[in-house]
Amino acid sequence: MAIWLHVSTRSNVPIYVQLIEQIQHALEVGTLSPGDTLPSVRELASELSIAPNTIVKAYNELQRMGFIESRAGKGTVVLGKVEETVRARQQEALLENLRTLVHDASELGLSAEALQAHFEEAMKQFFTKRQQRGKL
Amino acid sequence: MNDNTLRMQSRNTSAQALISNIAIEIENLTVNYGKNPVIKGLSLEVPVGSIYGFLGANGAGKTTTIKTLLGFRPPNSGRARVLGYDVVSQQREICRRVSYVSETNSLYEYLTISQLCHLCRDMQQHWNQEIVNRYIHTFELPLNKRVKYFSKGMKSQLALCLALGNDPDLLILDEPTTGLDPVARQVFLTTLVSDVAAAGKTIFFSSHILSEVEAIADHVAVLHHGSIVLNDEVDNLREMQKVLHLTYVEQPPAEELERLRRWPGVHLFEQEGRTVRLRIEGDVDALTKSIQARPYEPRNLEVVSVQLEDLLIEYIKGGGK
Repeated sequence: MAIWLHVSTRSNVPIYVQLIEQIQHALEVGTLSPGDTLPSVRELASELSIAPNTIVKAYNELQRMGFIESRAGKGTVVLGKVEETVRARQQEALLENLRTLVHDASELGLSAEALQAHFEEAMKQFFTKRQQRGKL
Repeated sequence: MNDNTLRMQSRNTSAQALISNIAIEIENLTVNYGKNPVIKGLSLEVPVGSIYGFLGANGAGKTTTIKTLLGFRPPNSGRARVLGYDVVSQQREICRRVSYVSETNSLYEYLTISQLCHLCRDMQQHWNQEIVNRYIHTFELPLNKRVKYFSKGMKSQLALCLALGNDPDLLILDEPTTGLDPVARQVFLTTLVSDVAAAGKTIFFSSHILSEVEAIADHVAVLHHGSIVLNDEVDNLREMQKVLHLTYVEQPPAEELERLRRWPGVHLFEQEGRTVRLRIEGDVDALTKSIQARPYEPRNLEVVSVQLEDLLIEYIKGGGK
């Protein structure tokens, strides 16, 4: 039914946050498409063996964020036009990773110049390859 | 006249409780055994539809609280309402809508399951044998064997089957899975979630097994010496405390260490030479920023979340704050 969902009750990440992240991920990779129906709270609680209130909390939050909508008689439906939101969120997360990377590199004793050189090298490699592929 | 007014009032309170979505409401409850207070000014609200874990060391007062909720023990002061009904004056209503599985599950040992079901059917107003049969089948319990030959685990399973027979709005369980093997426990918990909670019913259970609280509860309260020391949504507790590991270039002066120790929310402060380890509850970012702005900035600063189980154990021991 929703085998792409899995929660870890031993994690420090709140379960409702895990659910939100996984549903967002399913939207990003296309497991879920606009117009799809999410399992009902009851179905999901019983499938994942987690408290129904936790699922209600996740669904409410996703609804507030504009990803889903509950419709009378149809259940909880995935909305269209979520791609932009998802992309912006992904970019934000990525840039945060970059900041962490810089911090960790400096902790490990890499100088700013060395780090910059490596970064530029990686940029060059990636975009040259991409250009070549474009030509083919 | 008086009687009527009373009845009107009680009807109002139950209506209010239904509207406010609270299954159990305890206000400033005190229960004494002789002169000793066992429950001291306990207040608690259990929302309808929640799976509420009730924790505490042996003797903390869990069973006494539960007995008060069922109307078996009158409060010395304060009050409690279950599904909107007062535990003292409306115990009959509570019994009709609440099922209870005790830790000792005293079943009639010389009867078989079939005979026990007959007995229950005669005693309960709304008895649904089909539901009971379904659970007996789920747990693979033998119908024609006397209960006294059952294992401890089988007895707990049977007690749950019978408790679900009158389709309760609230299920109160006192250490329900003690004595169950891991597989049976898994089946037991899954049944609770998928059949009881998913149908919108409320579950209030006491337990010593933290992993099962972690797995199925959405709320938890910790009782210590008759008072609530922790009460929150389980998801909030997963991120409540952090451990900070600090490694300084050289040992910071005593006043700097004292400053960290006295930071709001810091407890369990340990220091060994250049390393400091502390637990903090609340705003970690404010502390890390403050540390980084000091002249004794550490060479390394690591933040790790405290595992829910460790947090619960700390509160059960009465630490916490």
